[in-house]
Amino acid sequence: MEETNRQVPVTVLTGFLGAGKTTLLNRILTEQHGKKYAVIVNEFGEQGIDNDLVVDADEEVFEMNNGCICCTVRGDLIRILSGLMKRADKLDAIIVETTGLADPAPVAQTFFVDQDVANKTKLDAIVTVADAVHLSSQIEDHHEAEEQIAFGDVILLNKIDLVKDENIEVVTKRIRKINPFAKIIKTTKCGTPLKEILNLDAFSLKRILEVEPDFLESDHDHEHDDDVTSLSFVSDTPLDMEKFQNWFGKLLQTKGQDIMRTKGILNFKDENDRYVFQGVHMLMDASPMGKWPENKKRSSRLVFIGRNLDTMNLKEGFEACKSE
Amino acid sequence: MTTDLNQFLELDKTKFEQRGIQLEIGVPVTCAVSIGNNIAAGFGDGTVRIFSSREKHKTLKAHKGVILCMSRDGNNILTGGDDGFFLKISLNGEINEITNFGSRWVDHVAAYNGNLVCSSGKVVYYWDKNKKEPKSLNHDSTIGGLAFDAKGRRLAVSRYGGVTIWKKDYSNKWKSTKLDWKGSHNKVSFSPDGKYLVTSMQENVLRCWRLKDKLDFAMSGYGSKVKSFAFISDTSYLATSGAIYAICWPFDGEGPMGRKPICLPYIGNKQVTFIEPFPDEKAIFAGLSDGSVFLSQIENENNTIIIRSFTGSEVSAIAMTDDKSSIFIGDMNGNTLWTSIWDQ
Repeated sequence: MEETNRQVPVTVLTGFLGAGKTTLLNRILTEQHGKKYAVIVNEFGEQGIDNDLVVDADEEVFEMNNGCICCTVRGDLIRILSGLMKRADKLDAIIVETTGLADPAPVAQTFFVDQDVANKTKLDAIVTVADAVHLSSQIEDHHEAEEQIAFGDVILLNKIDLVKDENIEVVTKRIRKINPFAKIIKTTKCGTPLKEILNLDAFSLKRILEVEPDFLESDHDHEHDDDVTSLSFVSDTPLDMEKFQNWFGKLLQTKGQDIMRTKGILNFKDENDRYVFQGVHMLMDASPMGKWPENKKRSSRLVFIGRNLDTMNLKEGFEACKSE
Repeated sequence: MTTDLNQFLELDKTKFEQRGIQLEIGVPVTCAVSIGNNIAAGFGDGTVRIFSSREKHKTLKAHKGVILCMSRDGNNILTGGDDGFFLKISLNGEINEITNFGSRWVDHVAAYNGNLVCSSGKVVYYWDKNKKEPKSLNHDSTIGGLAFDAKGRRLAVSRYGGVTIWKKDYSNKWKSTKLDWKGSHNKVSFSPDGKYLVTSMQENVLRCWRLKDKLDFAMSGYGSKVKSFAFISDTSYLATSGAIYAICWPFDGEGPMGRKPICLPYIGNKQVTFIEPFPDEKAIFAGLSDGSVFLSQIENENNTIIIRSFTGSEVSAIAMTDDKSSIFIGDMNGNTLWTSIWDQ
């Protein structure tokens, strides 16, 4: 009989400099919710946060010696999360704030790579705070701003009171182009109910089935070569499992640095179960998730977010996995 | 009916559990060390409990948060916590603050002959026993572990990318040498004979340096992270956790290179999570992920006895008194056992 402790959900809070991360953090900490949250902040935080359970961290990213070049993790997080798990009082959630210029991938990858972290905590969601006034120019000038949008499960489009309605439309479209499956919440001073950003379970495979994102064929026009874009595919023809595993495995191995996030629900030939997966760069979580519902069409759906997606022959690769 | 059930449970207990004191403290045991014939144990709620052979145990409210690390300093213990405090605590319960780093954690502590060391973030602070102010030893990345050699002359500091060894030269100036190996290095230890230095890494592997020529090699094959290891009986073996066996690498003669380790199996095939040497013997206490603890002779695997049966929670601390009469065991759910080893 092993220890069966509940895994503490961890929310990653990201966003470009000045977008309003600290405002959101203070909101989370001061709101009367009767919950116990620990907050991991970095020493270059923009403003002070006053709380007993604030832990200072240095963002220390290092590469794992596992032959996977993009498999970087946050060493400080491994140390701090394992320390927090020794506390006498159980935490309801942990929030990790990243610096404005941070790439969210190493934070997410830490939860795939470290067994102790994965046993006791779980990645709940990546919440990106975006500045409605400056986001468009930030995306043009800083690849970090683009990456933060690409990785977000929830995007808080903040400071909408300072922007005209038609410009909000433009910014929203820009976000959608990078990331079609994130939930966008428009806010002023990060005002949103906490249930919209905490305890979302966005990284659980079960959740992917519940909130099937819009798997629309996204229009894909070329602007810069290194723009982050998304592509999605749908097919009613069952896939051949072996062909798919070969193609997808090789794809992540060779292009994993450019592919930031993937999600999908797969319909394999001669299999009764639905297969669900989600990944961050080369790391992936996948599992059969029960039978297809009787009243639902069996179809495979697949989304990629990343750079240079048009050079990877994704459509041809996916088509070739069909069983007929 | 109830009586019958109790009898049955009693039979399931080891003789050590039957004659010892078992407590359910309910917060994780994070560390334990011996002070003479007493044991000091640190807990996740900031308390230190001192177990003595005759008396009832004493509870001290030491830190405001988790006690992250503990080391013995003569008749005192040193503790570091996530409340930022570095404390010295005497056997009779007197608590002295050495320093306080605020919201920065004290991750590691060590002591040798009255000289005190702690690390917080990337900095090691060294208090010479004759001085009030500490000397700061800076590193490029966060410190994963600290260890003195057996003579207290060298201080090893593990970090990302390897280990820094600090030593005072003849003019009393600090000099450092580096042992490099890519990756995150955690717990570090010199071999008792001073010939080797070992670290456990973020990957499921140990890295070892032979210090005379800096030859380095890996000890691998583990199913999980090696969180606990110890040199046994001077430098005969290095016993390690991280597998369903206690893996014991031979360190006598020319060392472990090209030789096979001894793998001690345990009932139930659970992961070994904690290793504590039986002083001066080629024997170890191995704590498992289900809370059970075994004592085994390394060169005779049939000579294994069960000290504590399973509790359902990973063993996180084992310590034996200096006179080798009693042992303390603690786990992540706060179940403790304090018992004599020998039949009365």
